[in-house]
Amino acid sequence: MRLPSFELYITTRTVFALIIINKAGGLIYNRTFHDGGLNKISTNDYLVLAGTFHGVHAITARLNPLQPRTTTNRASLSSTTTGAGAGDLVRPEPPSGLEVLETENFRMQCFTTLTGIKFLLFADTTQANVDLTMRRVYDLYTDYVMKNPFYQLEMPVRCDMFDRRLGSYIREINNR
Amino acid sequence: MVVYSFYIFDRHTECIYSKSWLPPAHDPTGAPNSVTAARPSSSDDAKLIFGTVFSLRNMVRKLGGDDDAFVSYRTAQYKLHFYETASNLRLVMLTDTATLSMRNVLHQIYINLWVEYVVKNPLSPVEHKGGAGVRNELFELGLDQFIRGLM
Amino acid sequence: MAHLGPGKAASSKEQTGLRYPSNGKTIYHRPLNRTKTAELSQSSFAYLFSEMVSYAQRRVTGIQELEKRLNLQGHPIGLKLLDLLLTREPPRSQTRPLTIIALLHFIKINLWTHLFGRQADRLEKSSNPDTPDEYMIIDNEPLVNAYISVPREMSQLNCAAFVAGIIEGVCDGAMFPARVTAHSVGGKEEGEMWPGKTVFLVKFQPEVLEREALIGKG
Repeated sequence: MRLPSFELYITTRTVFALIIINKAGGLIYNRTFHDGGLNKISTNDYLVLAGTFHGVHAITARLNPLQPRTTTNRASLSSTTTGAGAGDLVRPEPPSGLEVLETENFRMQCFTTLTGIKFLLFADTTQANVDLTMRRVYDLYTDYVMKNPFYQLEMPVRCDMFDRRLGSYIREINNR
Repeated sequence: MVVYSFYIFDRHTECIYSKSWLPPAHDPTGAPNSVTAARPSSSDDAKLIFGTVFSLRNMVRKLGGDDDAFVSYRTAQYKLHFYETASNLRLVMLTDTATLSMRNVLHQIYINLWVEYVVKNPLSPVEHKGGAGVRNELFELGLDQFIRGLM
Repeated sequence: MAHLGPGKAASSKEQTGLRYPSNGKTIYHRPLNRTKTAELSQSSFAYLFSEMVSYAQRRVTGIQELEKRLNLQGHPIGLKLLDLLLTREPPRSQTRPLTIIALLHFIKINLWTHLFGRQADRLEKSSNPDTPDEYMIIDNEPLVNAYISVPREMSQLNCAAFVAGIIEGVCDGAMFPARVTAHSVGGKEEGEMWPGKTVFLVKFQPEVLEREALIGKG
C-alpha cells in the first residue's frame, strides 16, 4: 500500500507543459515537462490547438455578462446613475479573456502579456502557486528570448539558454 | 456568490433554455428576473457560449484523454461552469469569479429539476425544439427558487 | 567671428592651467554614476548589446565578417579604457604595462573588474611550442553572452568578439599589437558546468615577441 501513496505524492505537484502563442494565434513554443500528465499529441495538433484557443480566448473576453454591449446601453446607464459622469472619463479595464481552465485531470493557467503573447501552463489540479510559476516563466522569456539578438519577433522560439533555464526551473518545481 | 445566467443546450447543439439573474443595473432591458430572450443579443450569446464550451471540451479531451471532462473556466470578470450528462445534454452557468465549483449544483439541477419536471412530464416532447416543453411552470419555478436559495 | 572673441579671451584667461581640485581628483578619477556600487542595469546593457549585434549583422556575408564588425565596435573602447584605467591608478603605478605578462594581468584584473565587476577566470600561455605568441584569457560566463543563444546554423559565432575587440584595443594602445579572437569551448571538456565558457585567444605580432626577448636579455 505504500507505493501508490508515494506515487500520488509525486504526481500531485507537477507542471505538465508550457505553450506560448503569439499575438496572431500561431504556436511559437511548446514543451512537455512530465510524461503521462497530458496525452501526447503531434506538433500539428498543437498548432491547431493554439489557433483554436486563440479564437476561444477572444470570445471568452466578449462574453462578459456584466458589460453593457452597445453604446446606447452605456448612455442610458450613465444618465440614470448619479456620479457616473466622472466614471466615464476613466477608461474601463478591458475585459480579460480566459485565465484559468479547470478539468478533471488538469488545470490550465493562461497569462496574456501586454503585447498579446499568451503563455499557457498546464499543471496538475492541485499544483499550488501557479501564478508564481507563470511569473517566473515570463521572466525567463523576457531574459533569454527577448534579449537574444537572434530571436525574431513572432517567430518560433529556438533559444538554447531559454530551454536550459526553463528546464531546470520546472524540474526544481516538479521534484519538490 | 452571484449567479449571472444559466443555459441548457441539447444534443443537437441548440440552446433550449436560457435564464438570466443579472441585477437590473446591468441588464440592458431593465426588467429584473427576465428570461434573457428579451435581450437582443441573447441568442448570439448562447451561440458564442456553445461554441466556446464545445471547443474547450474538445481541446480538453484531446489533451487530457477521453475520460477527462471540462469543468470550468474563469476570466477576470466572470466564471463559466460546464456540466455534460451522459445523454449529451449540456448545462452551462455563468457566475462571479469568487464562486467555487458549481459542478454539483449543475448536477442537482439535472437530476432534481430536469429529470423530474421535464423528462418525467408526459406532456413534454422528446426533442425540445425551440425550447418546447422546457419552459414549464414547475421547472422554471423550481430553478429560480433553487438558484435564489444559493445566492 | 566677432562673437567668438570674448569667449576666446575668457578661455585664455583660464588657460593659466587646468584647474585641479586640491585633492588631485578630477572627474576622470571616478565613474559619472555616483551610486554606491556604480553598477548599471544589466537589462539595459543586454538590450543595447542585442541591438549592437543585430546592427552588426546587417549586410554581413558570413560569421567571420560579423565577428570582425563586433571586434571593431570594441576596439576604440579598449583604447580609451587603457588611458582611463591608468589615470585612475595611484601615481606610483601609473605606467603602462611593459611586458606581456604585466599587460595580460592588467587586462585580467583591472580591465575585467572595471567592465564586469570581477576578474577573468584564468590566464594561460599556449602549451604548443609552435605558437609561443599565443596567450589565453578565459572567462567562464562572459557577461555580454548572458542572454544570448546562438542559433545552431551559426554555432561558430561567439558574440564576445566584442570583448575581444576591447582587449585588442588595450593591447594596441599599450603598443603590443595583437589579434584577439573569442572562441566558445563550453560543453566540451568540462561538461555542462560552464556552457558559455569562452577563451579569448591573444596572438601577438612577431615584433612584440622580438622586443620581449630583447628586454629579457637586458
